[in-house]
Amino acid sequence: MSRRPTCDEAMPRGDGHDAPLVQIGLPTGARSTGFEATRRDVLSLMGFSLGAIGLGAGCRAPVQHAVPLPSASTEMVPGVPNLYATTCGGCGASCGLVVKQRDGRPIKIEGNEASPLTGGGTCAAGQASVLSLYDDARLRGPVWLGNAVSWSEIDRHITTMLGGGGSDRRAIVLLSPTINSPSTRAVLADFRTRFPGFRHVVHDPMSLAALREANRLAFGAAVVPHFHFDRARVVVALEADFLGTWLAPVEFSRQWARRRTADGTRGFHVQCEAGLSVTGSNADLRLAVAPSELGTVAVALLAAVARRVNDAGLAALNATGLGQTAPHAAAIDRVADALARHRGESLVVTGSDDVATQLVVGKLNALLGNIGGADGPIDLARPSLQAQGDDAGVPALIDDMNRGAVSALIIWGANPVYDHPDGLAFRKALGRVPLTISFADRRDETSAHVHALCPDHHFLESWGDAEPVSGHFSLAQPLIAPLHDTRAGAESLLAWAAPAAGAAGAGKPADHRLYLRDFWRRALYPRAATAAGFDDFWERTLERGVVELPGPAVQTHAFAGDWQGAVRDIVTRASRAGTDHGGYELALHETVGARDGRHANNPWLLELPDPITRLTWGNVASIAPATAAALGVATGDVVTLTTETGKLELPAFVQPGQDRRTISVAVGYGRWAAGKAGDGIGANVYPLARVENGVRRYAARVNVAKAGRRARLAPAQTHFSMEGRDIVQSLTLASLEHEHEHEHEELPNLWRERLHGAHAWGMSIDLDACTGCSACVVACQSENNVPVVGAEQVRKSRIMHWLRIDRYFDGDGEDATTVHQPMMCQHCQHAPCETVCPVLATTTSSEGINQQVYNRCIGTRYCANNCPYKVRRFNWHNYTANDDFPYNMTSPLGRLVLNPDVTVRSRGVMEKCNLCVQRVQLGKNQALLQRRPLADGDVATACQQACPTGAIVFGDLADAGSRVSKLLAGRRAYRVLDDLGTRPNVGYLKKIELKEKA
Amino acid sequence: MSAGGIHTSDPTTGAAPDTLPATRWIEGTPSLHRITSDISRPMEAKPGRGWWICFALASAAVLNLLGMVGYLFAKGIGIWGLNNAVGWAFDITNFVFWIGIGHAGTLISAILLLFRQKWRTSINRSAEAMTIFAVMCAGLFPLIHMGRPWDAFFIFPYFPNQRGPLWVNFRSPLVWDVFAISTYFTISLVFWYLGMIPDLATLRDRAVGGIKKFVFRILSLGWNGSQRTWSRYEIVSLVLAALATPLVLSVHSIVSTDFATSLVPGWHTTIFPPYFVAGAIYSGFGMVLTLLIITRQTMHLERYITVNHLEAMAKVTLLTGSLVGYAYATEFFNAWYSGNVHERFHFINRATGPYAWCFYLMVLCNVLTPQVLWWKRARRSVPLLFVVSILVNVGMWFERFVIIVVGLHRNFLPSAWGMFYPTVFDIGILVGVFGLFFSLFLLFIRALPMIAMWEVKGVSNG
Repeated sequence: MSRRPTCDEAMPRGDGHDAPLVQIGLPTGARSTGFEATRRDVLSLMGFSLGAIGLGAGCRAPVQHAVPLPSASTEMVPGVPNLYATTCGGCGASCGLVVKQRDGRPIKIEGNEASPLTGGGTCAAGQASVLSLYDDARLRGPVWLGNAVSWSEIDRHITTMLGGGGSDRRAIVLLSPTINSPSTRAVLADFRTRFPGFRHVVHDPMSLAALREANRLAFGAAVVPHFHFDRARVVVALEADFLGTWLAPVEFSRQWARRRTADGTRGFHVQCEAGLSVTGSNADLRLAVAPSELGTVAVALLAAVARRVNDAGLAALNATGLGQTAPHAAAIDRVADALARHRGESLVVTGSDDVATQLVVGKLNALLGNIGGADGPIDLARPSLQAQGDDAGVPALIDDMNRGAVSALIIWGANPVYDHPDGLAFRKALGRVPLTISFADRRDETSAHVHALCPDHHFLESWGDAEPVSGHFSLAQPLIAPLHDTRAGAESLLAWAAPAAGAAGAGKPADHRLYLRDFWRRALYPRAATAAGFDDFWERTLERGVVELPGPAVQTHAFAGDWQGAVRDIVTRASRAGTDHGGYELALHETVGARDGRHANNPWLLELPDPITRLTWGNVASIAPATAAALGVATGDVVTLTTETGKLELPAFVQPGQDRRTISVAVGYGRWAAGKAGDGIGANVYPLARVENGVRRYAARVNVAKAGRRARLAPAQTHFSMEGRDIVQSLTLASLEHEHEHEHEELPNLWRERLHGAHAWGMSIDLDACTGCSACVVACQSENNVPVVGAEQVRKSRIMHWLRIDRYFDGDGEDATTVHQPMMCQHCQHAPCETVCPVLATTTSSEGINQQVYNRCIGTRYCANNCPYKVRRFNWHNYTANDDFPYNMTSPLGRLVLNPDVTVRSRGVMEKCNLCVQRVQLGKNQALLQRRPLADGDVATACQQACPTGAIVFGDLADAGSRVSKLLAGRRAYRVLDDLGTRPNVGYLKKIELKEKA
Repeated sequence: MSAGGIHTSDPTTGAAPDTLPATRWIEGTPSLHRITSDISRPMEAKPGRGWWICFALASAAVLNLLGMVGYLFAKGIGIWGLNNAVGWAFDITNFVFWIGIGHAGTLISAILLLFRQKWRTSINRSAEAMTIFAVMCAGLFPLIHMGRPWDAFFIFPYFPNQRGPLWVNFRSPLVWDVFAISTYFTISLVFWYLGMIPDLATLRDRAVGGIKKFVFRILSLGWNGSQRTWSRYEIVSLVLAALATPLVLSVHSIVSTDFATSLVPGWHTTIFPPYFVAGAIYSGFGMVLTLLIITRQTMHLERYITVNHLEAMAKVTLLTGSLVGYAYATEFFNAWYSGNVHERFHFINRATGPYAWCFYLMVLCNVLTPQVLWWKRARRSVPLLFVVSILVNVGMWFERFVIIVVGLHRNFLPSAWGMFYPTVFDIGILVGVFGLFFSLFLLFIRALPMIAMWEVKGVSNG
């Protein structure tokens, strides 16, 4: 595999989007015979050429029979993958990516190890985003009033309607989620020059508006700070799922994992939340707190910390006895102890939608000295630009639209009809706007009601850049020529803003790539302290994908917020809530698969088991066991949730760890115009919470009633207890730090030791670092062509994932503890599957990989029965080209995502993890070509590459110096079900328990 | 003719006065000619209404089987209720069930021959036929349970092998099954056919001509009934019986290794071979009882298949049923005694888990039901024996289901636990195979002598 510098140089410069999709070459067998051409040769060559021309012209359609190459390229060797750096467009976090391209098709997302933020990790949604490129639901081209038209025609209509600009006092509004692309901001500025009435409304479905507002009040800057969880010895998160879905989970996971060490500086992580999140499931101490109590907990924490640091200004606060009513008083004292011990190296973070709570937390951080400084945990000067949503924007926009004050509305990436509580009002208001334009890639809930559909590229087809965190820049380049007749959103804006021909400024580049390059030359290159010319800088940055360009710091002042007012506000509300008791609260949250709903038509994400509920294909109302018992509700019973703003029916799910007053529901489901896979999956909970005082609430009072029916869930795991078995093992930090004896009992075995060849491939999985985020699950699915089977098959326990993340609860109350355990083929050296196969279809290779020979397999399933880890997956049906399974493997377009290095399995054969044997082979080949021995780290499996915390390490156990050998020789190493004598080459590192460290 | 080597005393002359009167294995004193014509009647007369009703039902089930297996081949075994947790269920349950059924035939014809049990004479032919048909039914399942049945030949050690080092895996019990069952089928078929030759000659002689005579002439291999022929015939019978006898023990022992050599809790036990053999004979006798009670009523052969026969079979049923019950208890004891967490959990789950009702049904049918056979009156009551025999079959089917499904659905990692729910195709194929079995048996009693005439004559009172 060769890491290519850029796509740029291989690209015809005239058209920014003609990525080298295809390559000229005679297919094997069609040989020219030179001067001795016979009539037969001429005819066959002519036939081939005609075919090549025909196919070349059709390169936007799936090419199935040959790989014609209209222009030669040294970049592409058939069968050899290229890697290009780009930027993820999956969410606002804009992680750096390296995308694997095979024969002109992007087929696999990898993290960019050069990124100082993410360091090579990715998330599940990012991994899956490559499949969205090949989504059949995408628009094939621009649509004007329901008719497919050409870009020139739609441009004509739109420029006419937009008019001259200056004379029209009415607003042209762009509605989008957070845009952290500096070049796009420049495009918007240009647009504003052309149309002075232009306004940009930023709408994030799950926003951090309260945090921004609180920081404006407290520090004078409406920003989301850049958090450094690795700089904090104590992390207290109040309703912030920073390892799963909050702000920049990949970056935060990596930071958090750095504190999961046993070197004496191990972090202490406390999570206060209503529903169990990925982050909460990994916390050292987790407190179930209802959304309405979150403020009280923050106040109590502030009071407790103030007592300990003897802050004079807070003495009054203590005197009021505040926080005594807060739940978990004893635990809060412990947390305050820990915080007070680690002033300046602790971090309190909250995703609360309440400005007062945010202010109190801001005060707490200020009191602890966590803000600012060169290595402080909270950086306000160089803030995160990943969440700039303004909750007041959409309600105001609806008003404006209804008043007729909006002449044109451009919607770019937003879907308020679906994801805003006032979605219905928004849809009605759309009718009052003379011109509505959407850049949506499909006819979704919002774009179905606009005049002009100007579909944007998928991010893998597009140029672009991003500045996720102030000073951290990332470039995006196309991996493939646009599959459909789409146009970059920025380019559309540039085209409409272009002055009429002949006017001043005409001839300015309207091409997005040139604009981007020009912008970087103009605005960013001067910030690079480099002696190299711009072209060098540009090439290098494209190759690397990311660059740090220090810019001016955001000016903030010391904490000056009215925290006393905020405390009073919280206390008043708490006492008022105390009087009208009874009733439940609804809490909205994101899940790692569905996120905010924008990836709703992606079957990989729909079938991704949620790390907490282990459910696929839909959302549920999570209810605490005690509450469920009180309501007489069992898992699967449909409940009706009624809030002030709406009503919803959802299946209940009895969730250990859930706060007993709170019903948690995941957003992102219940789409009705997402596409074939995503429509009608789950229910849309967005309308149940409202916008209050300009801030969107993600919680509401709710009435719960049984609907009297049952729904069939699609769980990937049905039993949640480990039944007292030693499956996920742990040890205490104290024993790890103080006991140096490593007693490992070598159990006797009847079999002879297996002799290895040059290598013995193995894997180590650190259960203490694994958060359950599930990026590896999707990475494995993407790498290994694992089919999607649909909800009905999942219900029948036939999910195909080679790698699953088992999740066990200890206890079922609010204080239940959770463990995650990635489980895949353990590559036993005395494999139970191997002895029972009657036809030798599964064998262990000389390099220790237990391999499945698909051609040989007759499908007796004996191996799966005898596998103690139950990791073998059987093809019960034909999952490809079968209309019963209408997912990507059945669609000619969707099949383009398949990895050509991995066999697509037929019906009736067994399959399972093979430690990415194709990657091992590639690594060995490359080492051979470079005439060097294979080095440790040359081969990374897909799961390992995707893991944001580095929990998975693959390598050669025959090499005592390899990382994996060292890890598996360590004191934390163990093998699952060791006493069976299967001798797995996959080992686990025990979880570390703090045991009352606070 | 006389019954030769197996005939030791003449019941008509009576035994010594101080011994009990010998059991009479034929009612009345029919003449030898009468015996021949009684037994030949079903083959020579038009079948009655009862036969037609049974055959219509059975062949309808066969049509259903053909349709469902065709659909199975077209769509894949996903149409069954199997899943990642439970890789075998009805398919292998049926396989083991039918293999087990076959054992009674071999036991009756081979072991009882060696032990000179005269009561076998009336029932051995149909019991052997039952063996053949049961093994045929059983053999269907390894084929159709495969994910890719078109590659089923991979499981045979074929020559010449053009697939390099890929051959069969001699470590796999499934390969042992191939040898065990094909051997079993071959020996059973030869033994059955050989036993029929004198009767085929009789039928040849009775046939009035045409195709029937021609076919029987071919099949009877020129049998002439001479003293020399009989003498050699008896020796061959004994040799074949001696060859078949170990098979009674080996076949189900090997089938049990499919489970015993695995590491699945509830499967991985050394008790399985004897336990499976006892269970096989038990279920086989259950099935023989069912079949013979139906046949003697519908074909009016009460004279030859007497209550004495039924009682003898009931005794074997009681013995093997009690052995099976003992095995169940031993399994539980060992699970407790082993201290193995997985083993213990399996048996707790067997008795209290979601399939507990199958377990209790199995105990009721297999352990409690045969206990009524301690009473002679029960053993001699035909309706009661019929009910018992049906319950034994139900119980033994559930025994295999419990072993297979309960073993698989919850084992080592609780995260991978699952449930098996049968689909219409699971049930349809189960019913269809019963149809196949009964169709074959009904055709057999119309086409071939279902009682060994020459042997019955040896124990006749006339």
